[in-house]
Amino acid sequence: MASASIPAYSSNALENSSTKNASRESLKMEPLSDMPLLPGEERVIDKDIIYICPFSGAVKGKVVITNYRLYFRSVEAEPVVTFDVPLGTISRVEKMGGASSRGENSYGLDITCKDMRNLRFALKQEGHSRRDIFDILFRHAFPLSHGLQLFAFLSQEKFEENGWNVYNPMQEFRRQGLPNDSWRITFLNENYELCDTYPALLAVPFKASDEDLRKVATFRSRGRIPVLSWIHPEKQAVITRCSQPLVGMSGKRNRDDERYLDLIREANGGTSKLTIFDARPNVNAVANKATGGGYEGEDYQNAELVFLDIHNIHVMRESLKKLKDIVYPHVEEAHWLSSLESTHWLEHVKLVLAGAIQVADKVSSGQSVLVHCSDGWDRTAQLTSLSMLMLDSFYRTLHGFQVLLQKEWLGFGHKFGSRIGHGDKNHADADRSPIFLQFIDCVWQMTKQFPTAFEFNDRLLLTVLDHLYSCRFGTFLYNCESARDANEVKTKTVSLWSLVNSDRSSYINPFYTMESSRVLYPVASMRHLELWVGYYIRWNPRIRHQSPVEQRYRELLALKDQYLKKLEELQLSGSAPRLSNSTAPSPASPTQRVTHMHTPF
Amino acid sequence: MFSVKPLKPTFKSYLPPLQTELTKTPQPTINKLEAKLLPGEIVVNEVNFVRKCIGAESSRDDLWGKLICTNFKISFVTHDALPQQKFQYANRLLGEHDVPLACVEQVVTVNDAKGKQKVLGSNQKLKFNPTELIVYCKDFRIVRFRFDEAGPESAKKVCLAIAHYSQPADLQLLFGFEYVGKRHCAPSGDQVNGADRAGGPQTPLFDRTCDWDREIKRTGASEWRVCSVNEGFSVSPSLPEYFVVPVSLADQDLKQYSGFFTAQRIPLWCWNHHNGSALVRMASIRDPAQQRKLDQRICNAVTRSHPKRGDVLKSDLDKSLPSIQDVQAAFVRLRHICVIEPFEESEEKWLSSMESSRWLEYVRAFLKHSAEVVYMLEGKQASVILQEEEDRDLSCVVSSLVQIMLDPHFRSLQGFQSLVQKEWVMAGHRFLDRCNHLKRNDKEEAPLFLLFLDCVWQLMNQYPAAFEFTETYLTVLSDSMWVPVFSTFLFNCARQHTEHSRDFARSKNIPLGRDKALRFPPVWDWSQQFTLKDQALFNSPLYVGKGGPCVQNGAVKSFKRTKKNYSSTLRGMPSLRNGLLGEHDYFPRRSSLVLRLRPDFSQLREAAESPSERFFGDWLSRPPDLQGLLLPQLLPSHLKLWRLYFLRWVPEAQISRGGPITAFHKLSLLADEIETLQRQLRQYKGGAPPSSAPASAPGTPQPEQRRMYFKADTPRDPPSPPDYLSSSFPFSPVGNLCRRSILGTPLSKFLSGAKIWLSTETLASETL
Repeated sequence: MASASIPAYSSNALENSSTKNASRESLKMEPLSDMPLLPGEERVIDKDIIYICPFSGAVKGKVVITNYRLYFRSVEAEPVVTFDVPLGTISRVEKMGGASSRGENSYGLDITCKDMRNLRFALKQEGHSRRDIFDILFRHAFPLSHGLQLFAFLSQEKFEENGWNVYNPMQEFRRQGLPNDSWRITFLNENYELCDTYPALLAVPFKASDEDLRKVATFRSRGRIPVLSWIHPEKQAVITRCSQPLVGMSGKRNRDDERYLDLIREANGGTSKLTIFDARPNVNAVANKATGGGYEGEDYQNAELVFLDIHNIHVMRESLKKLKDIVYPHVEEAHWLSSLESTHWLEHVKLVLAGAIQVADKVSSGQSVLVHCSDGWDRTAQLTSLSMLMLDSFYRTLHGFQVLLQKEWLGFGHKFGSRIGHGDKNHADADRSPIFLQFIDCVWQMTKQFPTAFEFNDRLLLTVLDHLYSCRFGTFLYNCESARDANEVKTKTVSLWSLVNSDRSSYINPFYTMESSRVLYPVASMRHLELWVGYYIRWNPRIRHQSPVEQRYRELLALKDQYLKKLEELQLSGSAPRLSNSTAPSPASPTQRVTHMHTPF
Repeated sequence: MFSVKPLKPTFKSYLPPLQTELTKTPQPTINKLEAKLLPGEIVVNEVNFVRKCIGAESSRDDLWGKLICTNFKISFVTHDALPQQKFQYANRLLGEHDVPLACVEQVVTVNDAKGKQKVLGSNQKLKFNPTELIVYCKDFRIVRFRFDEAGPESAKKVCLAIAHYSQPADLQLLFGFEYVGKRHCAPSGDQVNGADRAGGPQTPLFDRTCDWDREIKRTGASEWRVCSVNEGFSVSPSLPEYFVVPVSLADQDLKQYSGFFTAQRIPLWCWNHHNGSALVRMASIRDPAQQRKLDQRICNAVTRSHPKRGDVLKSDLDKSLPSIQDVQAAFVRLRHICVIEPFEESEEKWLSSMESSRWLEYVRAFLKHSAEVVYMLEGKQASVILQEEEDRDLSCVVSSLVQIMLDPHFRSLQGFQSLVQKEWVMAGHRFLDRCNHLKRNDKEEAPLFLLFLDCVWQLMNQYPAAFEFTETYLTVLSDSMWVPVFSTFLFNCARQHTEHSRDFARSKNIPLGRDKALRFPPVWDWSQQFTLKDQALFNSPLYVGKGGPCVQNGAVKSFKRTKKNYSSTLRGMPSLRNGLLGEHDYFPRRSSLVLRLRPDFSQLREAAESPSERFFGDWLSRPPDLQGLLLPQLLPSHLKLWRLYFLRWVPEAQISRGGPITAFHKLSLLADEIETLQRQLRQYKGGAPPSSAPASAPGTPQPEQRRMYFKADTPRDPPSPPDYLSSSFPFSPVGNLCRRSILGTPLSKFLSGAKIWLSTETLASETL
């Protein structure tokens, strides 16, 4: 089963590893010596093991654990079952059964993965097989809990492209036409002193002084002040983002904050009202007052507040958990649609998309907006990045999408480290949440509705999600830019974009048609939202993985080239066409078509 | 688009500001508005100054014109252009705003000043002057007209005429008879509206022995023969005159057996697998005393026609599939949630409403059952007899699906049309009753054919390159059921077709000549409805035709599959067993691993999958051969709502400048370029057709005709998708779905209760 599904899109099969061609002979020397190894990857242990496949039952085989992955291959079964799982994907490891249990395969090991699957093994009782495997797995899957380094820091991989150069904040501001008369770039946060979870470079209203910014920072949760994310090239309307104001139970006012928001509004001459999109449900925003937060009250003149009713990280985590229950290992058959509905996953996706559409619609009509939630690093990142994807076709290119992730997610401190829990054994941490996955799902929904509007394909989205967990690249490690700087991620690890940009053609959507000034409005309706089967149900052997249409398009492209070549050869050989003297490979003119009416097909 | 709730429409808002009316509808033009009539079509009633409602909230975009009821259609003629609409797929038999009377599901008249409304039936009275007419259509459209400025009496007359003429009392009152009668008399019998006929291959109608002979030859069914025992319909009233039976059964036997079968329907051959197994369909045996003996004889005969004397398996469809009433009920529920319920309100429960409609569940059941029959024919090399009480409904769906999965010929356009002709029209599917054209018996109404098309769409959605035709084709084909001029959808069986057209001709004194009957055109002559240019929308740019381009290894794949040892695989599949997956769940809860594990792997594997599951699993684990066997993927998550068909009229669900059509557009440009290159290559080769041309697939209309609707006129710089593309293309929701709430009652409630009020003149008037 695993071999049927994994090669299509598993994290290891996506790129060509150089270590795959060891001969069968060497198998005798060392078990699975022909398994792929990355530069810097080292074998730690191998064992005979039984894989309890949820689809076809027990499979005998060998397992190798390295400092990067768990690799399994069956020994007797035909066809061979293999799979390999980066250890970073593992969220928990547990022992099951034992001496008191009956039966042959009673020493079990249960591995829960972050990517919608579980693995179950049985081991021999002799020689403390299971204890060895368990201990090693536990150590290497959760290196940070054991004083070890994440694999990204051990990897010796080299790529043609250096993905760390993909995003240059200054360059991206310039692309947007900044700085300009109304907006300036400030280096105030260069050393992350104003706000340690913000990027070093910030775009702020021209009229706001650094002193103003400091004052505003005191009134915004964790100093995350309103700053510019995107500006409309013609209408000058902007998307700004921040965290909640520290209003508290007493309903505090802060005139600096009020004035600052008004400066944002003024920066775009045409906006009479600044629209504040609070991503939360109204009640949650009210409840936040108890912990010192809250929302902009009526003191903010020239501003309107809209709640977008998107739920918090805990709700999303539970929703995904429910989704996993109905798709893995078996897809709920009897009441599929109502079960899917009861997970609310698609409903949440719909709300996020609908919120982003509202943001995009406001901005494209020339009105500036401010987006925030509580801390401004989860829902806010979803909303700003999705609306920017709708508004700006640059972000729909392969390069632009990388810039978008670097800027809105990594730059503005979405807490990848805490949300994913890289290398951390504490699987039940309340900080875990699939917010980024949900965003990628929204992007996927958009690519479904507009199959020609995105330069990248599903494979890119899957690759991003796989390496969100794998810890092979430094890209998604740690919670914010300052932490990545402190850990020298850029110098000590490789960027995911190095992998992607060294093999661009694999991630290109063949249907892409550039349309620079078009705003995409997806339909955020249950009528169109679909479960992303290629991701959530990818481990099921009854799912075919190739995209038939995309594949066919590539075949036709190859055919076209073949014909063009043939035609060229014929033209060179000088044999004149029988019925016409046309030579250029252009579509036949009407007269030509008439000429060939008699040609039998 | 997003959750800004539309204002609840009030009746005030339906009254347009007077000034705009005047500027919009200058008097002189109104008078020139005339209905475009077909041969045999006559105007029954008409009314001027009618407003066709476009938007639900305001009357700003409404159109002014004349509403006409003819003996064929409801026609609305106007000089106004639709707002925001840039594309409309034109039908040669119908105008942009026309609705054929056969497409009318329900006629509702309203007088909002008096707070009255009534569902109009045939021959009914109307005690109020309607201010509004709402027509619910069988193709899911809802069309609304306002009579605020129209003459009250003529408005009433038109409404009554529509209600009356959409429920004809007799088959021969269906417009097709007048039309075909007039066309028959006209000098150029085949020309309609100057229709240009495609010179491509004709679809075999299977009303002649030679069509059957060719099919026997094509499938290599040497042990089967065409029999003419039913010539003149002397044996069975609902069977065709010619059909195919085992060689070992003599005409005498057949005549003798016929009496024991329901409606004398002796078993019919459908198709032969190249391995020798055959697909046969038959009705139930009426006489229990004869049951065993007859079953045995039929089985023996079928076995004898199998070159390897393979097994014969019988599949009782009545026991394993939903009934036609179930299908109809599911369809009604699905229509309700798709077009009648308010869009926003139904969003929250959309998925569970879809589930409780059970439509997709039934689609899946038919696909699954067909796949199991495929396993018997291909995997077990056994012949299969499909048995159904009358053999005229469920067997049509299953036998056609099985053939589509097994035989790539039926995935070409001509092949598909011949399949419908063979397994539906000739096999005697009661189209007249199932479409309920005469609105006589609602219990007989059932969208079996649409269900079949939906199943085909599911396969097409999973394997788009395997089909020569597109979902637009399937949709248009389905819509053609409501244009009552085609032989395909008008009759219950071949005999009814023959007899009624003869009687009609006799009663109208139409000289018949050699034919001895009026010839109703089959729907397959598409030029009757569409220009050749528009027909190009039927052609899929993805299609891998017979010997189509296979670029990866250059090998031309043949239809015949190499035999595989299906037992040699470990790749287990979750069971397909009736959706009861929990029972063999090898992924027990954490604490119970030990108890649920069985020590022996081989046993475990055996238990996990049946041979048919292994067959499906094995097939799924390999890349599909698009010119070979095609099996549906049947996880519930694989089955999708056929959005183009069910949501095309819903304005809120339309993705502007998006949807699958935009990728289709891009593909078409490439396919067109390739075609052009092929044409040029042929010039060099002096007319020898390249063997791997997708355009050389059967069914290509004419050599000089370019296959693609979207053409690459600037091959180096493919343009962006045209603005008019949307997820509804080539249809448009503008003006075709106008929901409203009536007197404050949500429309949904009104309709679901509508049947109860049918006889009452008014609904208890709710105060405004």
